[in-house]
Amino acid sequence: MKDLKKQLYTVLVFTKIGTKRFFRDRLAIFFGILFPLIFLFVFGEIANGNSHISFNVAIINQSNSVFSKELVSQFNKSKIFKTNPNLNTLKLAENSMENGQIDGTILLPPSFGEINAEHIPNGTIQVLYTQNDQISGQTISTLIDAQLKGINQKFVKVNQPFKVLSKQLSQKSLTTFDYTFSGLLGFSIIGIGIFGPINVFPELKKQGILRRLHTTPLKVWQYFMATMFSQAITGVVSIGIQFIVALEVFHLKIDGNFINILIYTILSIFMILGIGLAIGGWAKNERQAAPLSNIIVFPMLFLSGTFFPRFDMPLWLQKITEYLPLTPVIDGLRLLTTDGKNLLQIGPQLGLVLIWLVIIYVIAFRVFKWE
Amino acid sequence: MSEIILRIKNLKKIYDNKAVVNEINLEVKKGEIFGILGPNGAGKTTTLEMIETMRTIDGGSISLAGIDISKHPDKIKKIIGVQPQTPAFQDKQKLTEIIEMFAAAYGEKVNAQEFLNEVQLGEKANSYAEQLSGGQKQRLSIAVALVHNPKAFFLDEPTTGLDPQARRNLWELIKMVRDRGVTVIMTTHYLDEAELLCDRVAIMDHGKIIALDSPKNLIMQLLKRGFKKAQKVEQASLDDVFIDLTGKALRD
Repeated sequence: MKDLKKQLYTVLVFTKIGTKRFFRDRLAIFFGILFPLIFLFVFGEIANGNSHISFNVAIINQSNSVFSKELVSQFNKSKIFKTNPNLNTLKLAENSMENGQIDGTILLPPSFGEINAEHIPNGTIQVLYTQNDQISGQTISTLIDAQLKGINQKFVKVNQPFKVLSKQLSQKSLTTFDYTFSGLLGFSIIGIGIFGPINVFPELKKQGILRRLHTTPLKVWQYFMATMFSQAITGVVSIGIQFIVALEVFHLKIDGNFINILIYTILSIFMILGIGLAIGGWAKNERQAAPLSNIIVFPMLFLSGTFFPRFDMPLWLQKITEYLPLTPVIDGLRLLTTDGKNLLQIGPQLGLVLIWLVIIYVIAFRVFKWE
Repeated sequence: MSEIILRIKNLKKIYDNKAVVNEINLEVKKGEIFGILGPNGAGKTTTLEMIETMRTIDGGSISLAGIDISKHPDKIKKIIGVQPQTPAFQDKQKLTEIIEMFAAAYGEKVNAQEFLNEVQLGEKANSYAEQLSGGQKQRLSIAVALVHNPKAFFLDEPTTGLDPQARRNLWELIKMVRDRGVTVIMTTHYLDEAELLCDRVAIMDHGKIIALDSPKNLIMQLLKRGFKKAQKVEQASLDDVFIDLTGKALRD
């Protein structure tokens, strides 16, 4: 009992000093905290941009009619069309379409909007697009057609027997950002748990620092435990900052409970760190550590839903990738954060994390070398 | 006759079917500075590492302070201090923290400042290890090796790469360690160092001990065999000139 207390004191001191070292090291802070934040901003922007569909268009108005001017100003105000005022001739617009800078051109011909014999303004709008932009071009046409129908209704009353009515349901679904955010959390956990140890351990071995520790009574489990605790502390700080940014900047809606998220995050860091400890602890030098970590990390990054959701994959691949260590981490964090689930409700994910935890640490203990 | 602290019997280490340490027998007395000399590849470091429990023993036995090394490596680790050839420490770690961490590895809590003062690093207590010079790192390393009051202290070629001032300072520190009652066992290439520092030396070659006595006796025996130096011995050496001109004070 007294022995155990002494051994835990060792873990405590190693944890404390290891954590202090992290916060003194600018490079560690950059990779542990700032680097994931940069990813959060980049992917957050992309994900947010996707939720509002818009088209880049050029509007060429060759008519002088009042009606055409009114219509152009309405297009300019529209959120769906992003107009570029510099593209004011057909020639410029065609160039931009060829370069793929704009999706299409809305052309109002010279006679557009002129009053006809029935005292009603009329004309035909042309939507121009290139072969590569067929879908955008047709969508733009449909959108303008819908807008013109509304206007037509005001001038000519016609009773239409068939109509379409769209209705928004009150249930909300997950936004792209919800998926992106849990994926990015998974990415930071990989950074903290794997990239850290695989870079540090071979260096510690090269300098003989681990060997020296091995001349003391320090045990592998004590060293692992201290590393687990200090990485969990730095990881929680890093992920905490990401949550704040996601809430403030990207308006992440959290339905879950923070204590659940915290516990699951720490467990996930422990489990993923085991992979780093196994690779870094086994490798004699960087040349052994780098290829092995690439083999293990890259498939997880691409197949566990870090950068793109797994539901886009074919079914058979989804089935396989479900069991990768990182998948339950990302899915579990999403369910806890945006789906309002608690730890008991994510039993399958939690169970998988715990199973991997045991498997990975059994391996890590077996392959660990002090030099 | 003083107490024997280290007993090595028929010790053997085999690498690739070759005995790099071949049936050596050795006894070290408590409180002495014992040197293991020999050319590169003689088996010095391997012998030392087997005593430190860092290498497995392929034959024979080692007992330190009455404890069998192969049976109780954990007990041995608690009573030895080890100085590596090139001491290295993790970056961004204050000297006091390094002392505290190593003490904690033994489950001990110590006054770090006292240990630093003892090796003249008291003023550097809040510096990071990477800010130290080579000589300072050596001194820190000695302080680290003493945090748990070891019975035996091992050094593997401790002065390799140090300037003459730092070497002399380290010799003083090694004597200080000995004066605390710790038995010192070291390997070295430098014969002047061994002659000056060691109470007794073992000379190894090809995995065997070929001579074992005090440096003085070994020289006497050689002279008795009729050895004569080709050149007349100077009253001072270039080393003496260097120290006379640059002083003994530490440069770091």
